Amino acid sequence: MNEQFRDLLLTTLLAVLFGLIFSGLMLLFLDKNPIEAFGILFSSLFRDKYTFGDIFVKATPLIFTGLSFAFTYKANLFNIGAQGQFYIGSVISAAVSLSLQDEMPGALALIIVFILTVIGGGIWGGFVGYVKARFKTNEFLVSMMSTYVALNIMDYLLRTVLKETKGEYPQTDSLSKAVWLPKLVQGTRLHWGFVIAVAAAIGIWILLYKTSLGFRIRAVGFNPEAARMSGINAKKLYIITFFISGALAAVAGFTEVNGMQHMLVQGFNPNVGSEGLGIAILANANPIGIIFAAILFGILRTGGLIMSQMANVPSSIIELMQGFVMIFVILSYFVRSKLEIKREKSKLQKVAGI
Amino acid sequence: MSIGLLARALMMSTPLLYGSISEVFAERSGVMVTAIEGIFLIGAWAGFAGTYLSGSLFIGILCAMLAGVLTAALYGWITIYLKQHQVVTGTAINILMLGFCAFFQRVIFGVPTIPLTVKPLPVIPIPFLSKIPWIGQLFFTQNILTYLMYVIVPISYFVLYKTSIGLTIRSTGENPEAVDVAGINVEKIRFSMVLIAGVMGGIAGAFYSIGYLGMFATNIIGGRGWIAFAICFLGNWNPKGAFIGTLIFGLAEALAIYMQSIGGNGLFPNELFIALPYILTIVLTISRKSYNVPAKLGVPYKKEE
Repeated sequence: MNEQFRDLLLTTLLAVLFGLIFSGLMLLFLDKNPIEAFGILFSSLFRDKYTFGDIFVKATPLIFTGLSFAFTYKANLFNIGAQGQFYIGSVISAAVSLSLQDEMPGALALIIVFILTVIGGGIWGGFVGYVKARFKTNEFLVSMMSTYVALNIMDYLLRTVLKETKGEYPQTDSLSKAVWLPKLVQGTRLHWGFVIAVAAAIGIWILLYKTSLGFRIRAVGFNPEAARMSGINAKKLYIITFFISGALAAVAGFTEVNGMQHMLVQGFNPNVGSEGLGIAILANANPIGIIFAAILFGILRTGGLIMSQMANVPSSIIELMQGFVMIFVILSYFVRSKLEIKREKSKLQKVAGI
Repeated sequence: MSIGLLARALMMSTPLLYGSISEVFAERSGVMVTAIEGIFLIGAWAGFAGTYLSGSLFIGILCAMLAGVLTAALYGWITIYLKQHQVVTGTAINILMLGFCAFFQRVIFGVPTIPLTVKPLPVIPIPFLSKIPWIGQLFFTQNILTYLMYVIVPISYFVLYKTSIGLTIRSTGENPEAVDVAGINVEKIRFSMVLIAGVMGGIAGAFYSIGYLGMFATNIIGGRGWIAFAICFLGNWNPKGAFIGTLIFGLAEALAIYMQSIGGNGLFPNELFIALPYILTIVLTISRKSYNVPAKLGVPYKKEE
């Protein structure tokens, strides 16, 4: 194992540990025993198949939103709008599923839903890249604001055309079983969405590191000026990168609606975008690392929820844990850069010593 | 358009102005305060909690300022001294604050059966001036924080463009090497700007909880911090521009509240009005021709070693 990778692993693990310790200390304000509470968190994960499967259920959308952020990040672009792209994907998935479910075989309907979600989310995200390419707008601002627009589009549709037939709550009717993503393991909620997510992560890794498009994307991210000089069309890349990023976040909506919720509920999963960003940071924007980081967040979500019920702790402890973990992971970036400098120095000294 | 609506617009633009002016100062010195959403949120919470527990709005606002400045200090330490990425750090802090406020709301207040409320900031009509028709109702029948806003705009303009401190701040964002050579500590300037943004952002957040609603909920800010952040861009990093921007957004927000209160107008859905400030930001960001982006915005200062 080379030294850099060892540092990465070690500092990240320490960061996660510190994050958990800090949030554990917060439990003292509630007169709770943190060790007992965290004991419940981790032991409950293994109490049955259903709970254990839930870790991966929770991780599934986070892999997509993590990839969504990491992908633009590689091009030194910022897509802060994954939450909105996720909602757009959810709306398209629910609407198309509901209109196709009685018209054709489920498998065919699912494929069409998937394709339309990718295209719709891609266009919604690609718009951000387009205005950046065409008008040099700040993609950070536009993507951020597009989330709130998407949220209101969802609210509007759930109040009007997509509203359930009973007309009571702002949610759609349940999808018929034919258009549910099939279960991966019986007796759990785990569905094929997780497999799609892992495949997407591997696909994005190949795209970034093994194709010329990926090379160009990373070149623009590394040094836009040099990339331009070498004839890379950055403008086109902005649009493509944001299209793919938006599509990734939108597919999270597809797996949640067709795999998990089987309906669209107003304002569900309100943190999936920012958690995705946290996961991307945790994984150092590495697509494969994102799978593991998302599973960690899945553990915190699943175990945190059970802990909050069994130990009578507010469920906001989950955001607290995630927030602290993220802060410490950022601090670990700093520690790693210091370690790196120290190593370089000692190498130089060795050379000079000879 | 009724005068009541305009008065409400002016009120709604108040916290946005506190946020965007402080963002102007910080960004002029080279740091984006991307933790602004979290600073607003903790300001709203601390303002509410402080007021509820002490019974004094004044102490509530002090708590909000303190909470804001502590959050900003954490942000400033990580981004300026440890030189970590500003967008990434801001997002982490925003999530942390979300958990923190929800958690400590529960720690302190438990699960109340009826929603907790405090008496919001009173409207103080200014003697004589408030009697002037139209203008009196619009400008001089507001709460204390809105009155302060009238003073903050010219003062910050003056400080930024007419004083040597302002020149230093602007140079720090444009050419930190030169500032450093002149013997001024770049990091110290930036850190103080971030702290000021913490104080102002805390007050802005408190405006949403105790300024007129008199209550707290974790979704109370709902992206207003980001709007203030955007206004700073749209206003071209200038206090005057920020002021105009906040008025436009205040009006959009007042209009949205008004439309909801009358139950919509049939022609346009309510959601369109709620989304209006956000759509407006996108449209304005796109249509803006030239920007005066501070040259070193978002770039940590690294001394040659």
